[in-house]
Amino acid sequence: MKRFFKGLKGSYIALVLLFLYSPIAIMIILSFNEGKSRANWQGFSLKWYASLLDNSKLMDALEVTLIVAFAATLASVVLGTLGAIGIHACKKKYSTALINLSYLPMTMPDIVTGVSLMMMMVFINKYLFTLPRGMFTMILAHITFDTPYVLFSVLPKLRQMDPNTYEAALDLGCTPMEAITDVIIPEIKPGIITGALLALTMSLDDFVISYFTGGYVQNLSVVVYSAAKLGVTPDMYAMSTIMFVTVLTLLIVVNKRSTLESIS
Amino acid sequence: MYENTKLIELVGISKSFGDTQVLKQINLYICRSEFVTLLGPSGCGKTTTLRIIGGFESPDEGTVLFDGKDITGVPPYKRRVNTIFQKYALFTHLNVYDNVAFGLRLKTPEELLPGVAKPTRAQAREEIDRRIMRMLRLVKMEAYAKRGVDALSGGQQQRIAIARALVNEPEVLLLDEPLGALDLKLRREMQLELKNMQQQLGITFIYVTHDQEEALTMSDTIVVMNGGVIQQIGSGKSIYDEPKNAFVANFIGDSNILDAVMNEDFEVSAAGRVFECVDEGFDKNEPVDMVVRPEDIMLVGEDVGMLNGVVKSVLFKGVHYEMIIEAGSFDWKVHSTAMYAPGSRVGLSVVPSNIHIMHKMAREA
Amino acid sequence: MKRSFFSGPYALWMVLFTIFPLIFVAFYALTDKNGAFTFANLAQGFENDYMKVLWRSIRLALECTAICLLLGYPCAYILAGKDFSRHKSLFVLILLPMWMNFLLRTYATMTLLEDTGVINSLLEKLGMQPKKLIGTRGAVLFGMVYNYLPFMVLPIHTSVKKMDERVIEAAQDLGANPVRVFFRVKLPLSVPGIISGISMVFMPSVTTFAISRLLGSGMIHMLGDTIENQFMTLNNWQFGSALSLVMMALILLSMGLLNRIDINKSERTNNW
Repeated sequence: MKRFFKGLKGSYIALVLLFLYSPIAIMIILSFNEGKSRANWQGFSLKWYASLLDNSKLMDALEVTLIVAFAATLASVVLGTLGAIGIHACKKKYSTALINLSYLPMTMPDIVTGVSLMMMMVFINKYLFTLPRGMFTMILAHITFDTPYVLFSVLPKLRQMDPNTYEAALDLGCTPMEAITDVIIPEIKPGIITGALLALTMSLDDFVISYFTGGYVQNLSVVVYSAAKLGVTPDMYAMSTIMFVTVLTLLIVVNKRSTLESIS
Repeated sequence: MYENTKLIELVGISKSFGDTQVLKQINLYICRSEFVTLLGPSGCGKTTTLRIIGGFESPDEGTVLFDGKDITGVPPYKRRVNTIFQKYALFTHLNVYDNVAFGLRLKTPEELLPGVAKPTRAQAREEIDRRIMRMLRLVKMEAYAKRGVDALSGGQQQRIAIARALVNEPEVLLLDEPLGALDLKLRREMQLELKNMQQQLGITFIYVTHDQEEALTMSDTIVVMNGGVIQQIGSGKSIYDEPKNAFVANFIGDSNILDAVMNEDFEVSAAGRVFECVDEGFDKNEPVDMVVRPEDIMLVGEDVGMLNGVVKSVLFKGVHYEMIIEAGSFDWKVHSTAMYAPGSRVGLSVVPSNIHIMHKMAREA
Repeated sequence: MKRSFFSGPYALWMVLFTIFPLIFVAFYALTDKNGAFTFANLAQGFENDYMKVLWRSIRLALECTAICLLLGYPCAYILAGKDFSRHKSLFVLILLPMWMNFLLRTYATMTLLEDTGVINSLLEKLGMQPKKLIGTRGAVLFGMVYNYLPFMVLPIHTSVKKMDERVIEAAQDLGANPVRVFFRVKLPLSVPGIISGISMVFMPSVTTFAISRLLGSGMIHMLGDTIENQFMTLNNWQFGSALSLVMMALILLSMGLLNRIDINKSERTNNW
């Protein structure tokens, strides 16, 4: 009887996985299809992968995505970690206010974040100083939504830390700066890494905010959107397959290092 | 006292977790209205035994009998026992009243009101309310009926856990180290309260603890366990006065255990001299363990007692002084209200009835 | 230098890039093209056509949330249970799509649903008539469920896994059989996870614009793509901002509602 239920449960999970992965699986298969047909296998071919490399728009967008994501992650890790350390040391009233403020970018719909930033950027460009929307503004926007994730990953670690740690460091002869870099930061490192990974993921994946704040500069998601509006083409399958394999590999690597426990 | 009828019987129970064998062929019976304590160090198997009785673990070998019937395969929700868990396991999504009501609400009106013909749901609800309020009064928590359980202190949560279990009027109550999280004073109070409750209600209590003082305070019978094997079963006094082996002697109370030789009945040699004792039935010249409790050693002037010794250390323990005295090439632990400074020369004496002889324990592999 | 000063740069950034932009939204929402104060933009939002759009967005989001809950709860429950919790890779597999680019996931559904997509191509092959799948309300719903299902599974799984084994045993000890244990103990205790899951699905569902634009072929209008339209195509920042305010109000309302249902506030897991 128990085995029957176990089988039932297993079938359900299998069905859900089927639902989640069949579109992806189909895309992967079709990416190797010689022809454009959706239902007929016309032979194995890598031509769609090759065409990707020729697609300069896509390659540029990929470059943009990577640069923006890494730059924004770097900046937000610094800003967020220091911010968390600062907030942790603040009085309750001030820190609660700042924490509530930090919830704002995460709870606001990304459309509203996107359009509001866009309006502000256009206004600044028109009336204050020349800063047209482009890669730089995109990075600024990314930092804005990435940093709270870093903050909320680091803050719990600070709270778990023994409150006397900083003072112990000072007591043993560290300057405040040394105490922070040599004692506090190593202890909250797992939180910083989690936050960095989270920020990176959010930035790599972002569409809406990049769409509004990038101006003529497009990241990968924006390019896919523009192309998708015109319909589905096979070279996109190749792109999707590559992205899927990348994410899968990353997750396997991370899983092996057991960091996954802390993320999920 | 308890009626001499077997209520629960464990026959040949063995249990392993992975590579470790936690219980080795345990045979045990528990009588109606008895307060039994399973006593032993961590890892001795006492909690596992309790969980097997409760139905949360199944034994690899052996049977569990309840009132003569085999209940080895019966799941916990069908057994007529209730459990008090170590960390109380209260339902955080329910308030105090609903926690206590949980078990009662699962019963049919017929079960709740056995004397009434065709009981209605409304009558059942009234009965439930009656029982809950009576139980809350018993544990002195009636004022907290509608409170959430999160905000209660450890001691209060504990009382609710007790109320929740007892309100179902089980025949047997299993308690898994329930007082562990309480501070000393509260623990002592609760020990007496639990003992009183048990005697008032006449329920069989099976209690698990590693605290020998607790066991001695509350139990009718103590089952001493170590390494998955029962070491000794008996009343507190009998185990204290006549431990069967060195483990039990060491575990219950403080003791001095000396290597000795039983010359003949009523005579034993140890620490370089011969003592008169009250034990018999050992082989002539058998190597044995001799046990003398620290509080049974009398300190007298030098050369006046059976042995001469030098005080090595003194600790003030409040109730008495604890001294280590070297005499006859053995370090004796002595409890006395008189204080002798380190370095003093004293004499030791012990009355024959306070010397206890045990067979030497087989060295465990 | 006090450690608390470190929060300064962060605070400054947040004010500059979060609060100031919102002021712009408020400004444009409440002024006309000449800069004069007016309620006209907000009033326009209450017109019949736009009310329909709002209602459609809410309804679709609710349907999506309900479906995700129905499909996701058993999934999370099974994966957190004794039989399957050892196979952590299964859980990771369910979550993996979450980490894939969201547009590409929508793209994958397009592949299936397009007029010349996989499903229709197969139907043709089998000699049946192709169906209109993309550009329908159903397509948008399908796309939303497909995208957001893992977001429902994750918090419920966390909630179920966190449950104290001893509390379950206590319920059994008190006489509850497995069915009763589920409905009286496990389900109530998993409510914080359910609430978390609902908010993680409802919020993005009601504000999405890419899914409705791509899978609705521009014919199923939701609040999100209406706003985008105002800004990028019609250049009507005033009305667009007004609609943004409406959207924010909607989100605040739903968050408030969910907060009130949340039994154990302290149990709210931050799933990061």
